[in-house]
Amino acid sequence: MTRSSVRVRRSGRAVGATACVAAALIASAPCLPGDLSTGRPPGKPPSALAELGKHLFFDASLSASGRQSCATCHSPEFAYAPPNGRGVQLGGPSVDREGARAVPSLRYTLNRTPVWHREFVANPAERYREGEAPPTGGFGWDGRFDSLHEQAAFPLLAQNEMANTSPEDIASKLVHASYASEIRALIGRSAFADSSRLYAVALLAIERFELEDTSFHPFTSKYDDYLDGKTELSKQEARGLRLFDDTARGNCASCHPDDKGADGSHPLFTDYELEALGVPRNPEIRANAAPEYFDMGLCGPIRTDQASQTGYCGLFKTPTLRNVATRRAFFHNGRFHTLKDVLRFYATRDTDPATWYPASASGAVDLFDDLPTALRDNVDRREPPFTLHEHAAPLWSDDEIEDVLAFLKTLTDRDVVGLNP
Amino acid sequence: MPHSRCIWNYSRRRPHRLGVRAPRALAHLVIALLATFTASGQQANGEITTAAAKIRHVFVIMLENKNFNDTFETSTQDPYLRKKLVPMGALLSEYYGIGHVSLDNYIAMISGQAPTPDTANDCVTATGTLYADVQQTGVASNGQVVAASGCIYSRETRTLADQLDSAGYTWKGYMEDMGNDPARESSACGHPLVGGLDNTQTAQAPSAAVPAGDAYATRHNPFMYFHGIIDSPNCAKRVVRLEQLTADLRDTGTTPNFALITPNLCHDAHDGAGTGAEGTLCANGDPGGLTSADKFLRDWVPKIVASPAYRKDGLLIITFDESASAVDRAVDAQTGKVILNFTFAGKTCCHQQPGPNIDGARPGTVVLSDTPKQQVRWVFDGYGGDRIGAVLLSPFIKPGTQSNTPYNHYSLLRSLEDIFRLDGYLGYAGNDPANGYILHTLGNDQAIFRTR
Repeated sequence: MTRSSVRVRRSGRAVGATACVAAALIASAPCLPGDLSTGRPPGKPPSALAELGKHLFFDASLSASGRQSCATCHSPEFAYAPPNGRGVQLGGPSVDREGARAVPSLRYTLNRTPVWHREFVANPAERYREGEAPPTGGFGWDGRFDSLHEQAAFPLLAQNEMANTSPEDIASKLVHASYASEIRALIGRSAFADSSRLYAVALLAIERFELEDTSFHPFTSKYDDYLDGKTELSKQEARGLRLFDDTARGNCASCHPDDKGADGSHPLFTDYELEALGVPRNPEIRANAAPEYFDMGLCGPIRTDQASQTGYCGLFKTPTLRNVATRRAFFHNGRFHTLKDVLRFYATRDTDPATWYPASASGAVDLFDDLPTALRDNVDRREPPFTLHEHAAPLWSDDEIEDVLAFLKTLTDRDVVGLNP
Repeated sequence: MPHSRCIWNYSRRRPHRLGVRAPRALAHLVIALLATFTASGQQANGEITTAAAKIRHVFVIMLENKNFNDTFETSTQDPYLRKKLVPMGALLSEYYGIGHVSLDNYIAMISGQAPTPDTANDCVTATGTLYADVQQTGVASNGQVVAASGCIYSRETRTLADQLDSAGYTWKGYMEDMGNDPARESSACGHPLVGGLDNTQTAQAPSAAVPAGDAYATRHNPFMYFHGIIDSPNCAKRVVRLEQLTADLRDTGTTPNFALITPNLCHDAHDGAGTGAEGTLCANGDPGGLTSADKFLRDWVPKIVASPAYRKDGLLIITFDESASAVDRAVDAQTGKVILNFTFAGKTCCHQQPGPNIDGARPGTVVLSDTPKQQVRWVFDGYGGDRIGAVLLSPFIKPGTQSNTPYNHYSLLRSLEDIFRLDGYLGYAGNDPANGYILHTLGNDQAIFRTR
């Protein structure tokens, strides 16, 4: 990726112009409207491009195996998260190759995820006071895509995901798609003669579906009702919320904000910042059998443009916690399979590290073992909840963990509340 | 250093939720009432000896954090300001900020109030970046509010806005990006919840929902720090998005008599190095620094100077809030420990007073972090805001002139109070001859203004 291309992708105008890019590709379409600020129903039907994107999103014929669509891993019945508990999902021509990372939910964050950036304050004194600001934003665990249409290309072409061989390969499948007539109606009969244009429209269509479809932003959780004054939290849930907010202990809300916005909009429980938590290595991932392999997030190996920034190694983007209780694989590497274990990890990572990390050859705890030794200082040990010392009391008691768990279950949307354990 | 939510990154930390404290609020009211009657002890004489007496429309564009030498002598990033605007107008070579860091300068400009412990630090406190009420404990000379903490002054602390209202003049604040993201702040009179976290301290990058991003910073909008303004239903009509300025400039009748224009965090030079180098950009990908500030001026100054109000009786002032800091690094020979000092010279002009609230802090040293390997400190050698300079444009200015008369943000307030013949001088806009504190007023600067 060239420096100039980064600059173009990161400009605000480029983000705002997405719909007009579509218009340029689709002669008959104006710049597309839509209230993308909250994801709530804009009172208008989805655009024709979004309708096309919906077809694409659910079309398994767009994979080499013929058995996988976007929705296979991002299942609407599971809040656009995986329907199973695998740490990483399988893909490829025979659906037997592991993906590199856990599959996140697509609900809530897509329209408000900022482009990847790191603010640079000009005055060095203020820059230091305001913190060596963490990198923020972008799509994917490492923030490497600034737009959803760029992101959409990755799983379509990744050989351990949908495994198409090229954009032309995808375009050729679209010619025979069951919805080919709709493509023709949208972009004209000549579209099938220009595979690069057809491919570009397909990516933009997936993006528009993900931005416009209200199923990505239902706001139907108990916590939403609580914020609207329609219900009360139980005593246990309220205790959990207080623990979640406590800046001196859990400090969860510093990364997963839970307050209403200035306009009354409901919180999305992520600040989009990239963070190094020191999640233990996941032995379930085949690639981790190679001791020299490390998935270091922002500094690579999947993302390549920040490879020289060793301070970025180990940083992954903070996910939303909405519907987190319905998940069965947590963190970027899917290391944990229950939310209670995740909370236990937060509570005792520093006070009882031997619970989470293996012993090294010397017998000492191999702390932060999913990073090369030289880069383990990147892991956050500066702010609560990561300021405790070994053998100190854990962050939360077992009862408090149950309280936080109860609160997190209030973030589950009505349509998937049955998935709560 | 890990790129975590750094210990000093208070803006990302949540404050303790603050409750209503009614008895304390009543005490504040009493104290503030005392302040009301002591703040305006002197009457503005309004005797302007130059053609500046005809000025009835003043525009102020506030930029951020640059030294005079950088802006007007060495930088290559601001050719429009240096080579186009300076020859068109007058350069004030001895114009100073009144403090470090940003917010205290803005507040001084519209109220004459000296820094509180928190306004001197952009409301970054040990418990978070709080948009919280001033905890007033008394009133000092020149109507100075004595404050233990806090940033939002009571209704009784008067401002230039109050004075203009009383005199029948109009005013507005034009804030770039305010309300770009309605979830972040309102598009009119935009400020955080009183007592809550200020989440406008850092810029928000573009997203699908907010295509331009949102780099509005409450701390660069002084109107938001006075209950007399934010509690008024008129606030939403007076503190508006920058785009409104285009329409307001079309007719003298719609152009406010006083307009404060605040660019976003990128266009005011606060963010970005201005070079375009990767890793030094604004959150929206623009280069920032004086490069983006210069572009902002190229975009807006022509509109202002072409407006009927400016051409009739206008004055445009372009200045900065404060200077930048210097950095020096030393290594302790015995321990090998690195000492990193961010130093603010803190120079003043005009016999400026420090005010009642920053004893021990200015001058002073703040240790930001201290590990066995490195100590990082803010060093304030003085309590001023250092030399920043200003450019004035007006039909009443002699083009290409320069004044070496010392001014600061208090002087600017005093000058506006004189130009508009307002009801007294607020705070340190008033002189204190017993302490040798006598400010000059812009309108009497014969080096730059035409004769009457």
